[in-house]
Amino acid sequence: MILERLRSGSIAKPLAVFTAVVAIFAAVDGDHMRFLSGSTLFSTLETFATGGLIALGLGLTMIAGEFDISVVGVYSLAGCVAVLTGAQSPVLGAVIAMAVGAAVGIGQGLIVTRLRLNSVAVTLGGMLTCNGIAAVLTGNQSIAYPNVNVALAIAQPILGPLTIRSLIAFAMFGAMAAFIAFTRPGRDLIALGSDRRAAVVAGAPVSALIVVVFAFSGLCAALSGAMISYSLAAASPSGLTDVLLPAAAAAILGGVSLGGGSGRPIGLMFGVLTLSVLRSGFNALGAPPYANDVAMGAILLGVGTLDGPDLWRRAASLRLKLAEMRNEFAKQD
Amino acid sequence: MIEASETRARAPAARGLSALRLIRRSGSALVIARWVGAAALAALALSTPGFLSAPSLLSLATTVSFVGCVAMGMTLITISGNILSLSLGATVGASAMIFIVATNAGGPVFGLVAALATGAAVTAIQGAIIGSVRANPIIVSIAAFALITGVAEAFAQRGAVFLAVRSAASAMHFQIAFIPSEFVVLLLVTALCELILKGTVFGRRIYMMGSSFRAAEAVGVSSWRVLAGVYGCAGLCAAASGALLAIRYGTADMTYGAGYDYDAVAAVLVGGTLMRGGQGSALRTLFGAIFIAVVEIILLLRGFRDEWQYLFSGLIVSFAVLLQPRQGDAR
Repeated sequence: MILERLRSGSIAKPLAVFTAVVAIFAAVDGDHMRFLSGSTLFSTLETFATGGLIALGLGLTMIAGEFDISVVGVYSLAGCVAVLTGAQSPVLGAVIAMAVGAAVGIGQGLIVTRLRLNSVAVTLGGMLTCNGIAAVLTGNQSIAYPNVNVALAIAQPILGPLTIRSLIAFAMFGAMAAFIAFTRPGRDLIALGSDRRAAVVAGAPVSALIVVVFAFSGLCAALSGAMISYSLAAASPSGLTDVLLPAAAAAILGGVSLGGGSGRPIGLMFGVLTLSVLRSGFNALGAPPYANDVAMGAILLGVGTLDGPDLWRRAASLRLKLAEMRNEFAKQD
Repeated sequence: MIEASETRARAPAARGLSALRLIRRSGSALVIARWVGAAALAALALSTPGFLSAPSLLSLATTVSFVGCVAMGMTLITISGNILSLSLGATVGASAMIFIVATNAGGPVFGLVAALATGAAVTAIQGAIIGSVRANPIIVSIAAFALITGVAEAFAQRGAVFLAVRSAASAMHFQIAFIPSEFVVLLLVTALCELILKGTVFGRRIYMMGSSFRAAEAVGVSSWRVLAGVYGCAGLCAAASGALLAIRYGTADMTYGAGYDYDAVAAVLVGGTLMRGGQGSALRTLFGAIFIAVVEIILLLRGFRDEWQYLFSGLIVSFAVLLQPRQGDAR
C-alpha cells in the first residue's frame, strides 16, 4: 500500500529515495564526519551542476513521451564550440554553443514530428553526427581553453557552497518547474506525454511543443557542456561521452517513466541530487571507484523494475498461483 | 488529425521533404533508393585506388566482423520491439576478459564456453525482466551497463588481462582461403540469426511481439520467455564478438566493445530494419554493417582522417533514419 502510493507521487518518491540515501551514508559514516562535511556538500553540488542540466533536458523529453539520446553528442559538441569561440568572451562562446544545441534540438524535433519517426532512432543519428562534427572541428584531439581566469572563476563558490554553475543549474530547474506548474503550454506538455491522442483532440499544439522540448533539451546539454569545458579549461570531442547513463538514471530516480506524462522538474532535481550524493558520498568514505557504478546500476534496475507497468499484474497472478498451490496442498493433506 | 494540422502548417521550406515522404510512403521507391545507394557506393569503392587490394579487403572483412556480430544480436532485440540495448558493448568487453581468464585457467574451449555462457546469461536476465514486468528496455540496459562495468572493474583491478599462452588461443585463429576467421564467424552468426528469425516458431514469436506486445500476449505467447530467449541470443552474439577480439589481440579490458552499441544500431538502421520492431532481418543488418565499413575504408583510402569517418557515419545513420517508415499516431 505504501509502496503503491510512493509509486504515484511525482515529488514524494524522489524525495524519499534522496532522504534514504543521505540517511544511509550518514549512518555508515557514523562519527567520522567524512560524509557530513562541507567538501562533500560542495562536490555534490558540482556533480549536480554538470549532470543536472542534461538530466533536466533528457527528463523533459521523457515526460513528453520521447527520448533524446543526442544529449551526449550535443554536450561534447557544445564544449568544443564554446572553447573554440569563447576565448575572448566566455559568455559569447556559451551563447553560440547554446544556439548550436538548440538548433540541433529544433532540427531533430522537426524530423520527429514532421516525419513521425521514433525519437530514439532520430536522436541516435543526431548524436553520432554531433560527435562527428565535434571531431572534425577539433581535428579529433583535445583542445585547451586559453582563458584560465574564466576556469578559476567558474569553479569559485560565490554564494555559500554554490558556484555559478550550480546556481545556473538550480535556476533552470526552478524556471522549468514554474513553467510546467503555472503555464498553459506546461500543462499541455504533461498532457501530451500522458495521452498524445487526447492532447491532440483537446487542441494542444502537440508538434510545436515537441519541437520546443527537443530544443530545450539541446540547449540544456549545450549549456552544461560549455560550462564544464570552461571549468576544465579544455574540451575534447569524445572524452565527455559518459553522461547518458547518469542522466537517464537521474530522470528515472526523479519519477519520470518512459511511458511519458509522469515526473516533474522538482522530482527530477532530487533524482539528480540522489546520484550526486551517491558519487560524492562514496568518494568521501573512500570506497573503491566501482562502488558507484554498481550502486547506481542496482538502484536503476530496481526502480526500472518497480516502474514496469506489468509488475502488479504479474505479482497478482503469482499470488493467485501460490494460493492455488496452497489449496492443492491443503486438499492432499 | 496530426496529419491535417501538419499539412496546413507546412511551409514552402519543407517542400524538400516531400520527395523524402514519397520515397518513404512507397515501398518500391524505397527499394529503388536502396539499390541506387548500394550501386553508388560500389562505383565509388571500385574507383578508389587500392580498394580491391588484399590488405584493404582483409581489414574490411576483419573490422566489420567485431561490430557485425553485436549488430546481429541488436537486430533480434530491435525486431522484438525493444529498440536497442546499451549494455551489449559492455558485454563484449566483459566476455573478452572472461574468455582470457577462463582460457588461462582451463584451455581455450573452456574459455569459449565460459564467455558465451556468461554473456548469454547476463543478457537473458535483462530480457526476462523486460518481458515479465514490461520494464523499459533502454533503462534496464543502462542499468546492466553500469552493473557489468562496475563488477568488471572490481574483478580486474589492474584493468587489462592477458593470455598466458598465446598459442593456445591463436590455434583458433585461422584463415579459410584468405577469408579471416572473424568474417567466417560473422557469416555463421548471421546465418544462424536469419534461420532463427525465419525458420522457427521462436522467430515468428519475435516478429509477433515486435508488431504488438499485447496481441502476442493475448494469443498466449509468454513474453518473458521469448524476450529472455531474444536477449540470450543477443548476449551470445556479443560474447562471440568479445571472444573474437580476445583471440585476435591476446589481451582484453573493458574498452573492448566500448561504443559498439551505437555502431551496431547504426548497422541495424542502415540495413533498414524497422526501429519500432516487427520487421527486419539479420541479412539486412549484414549489408548495413558492410555498407558502413566500406564507406569508412573508402574515406581512409582517399586520405580523410578519422574525424571525417565519424562525421560520415553519423550522416549515413541520420539519412537511414529519415528513410524509416513513419510511426502510427498512437504510441
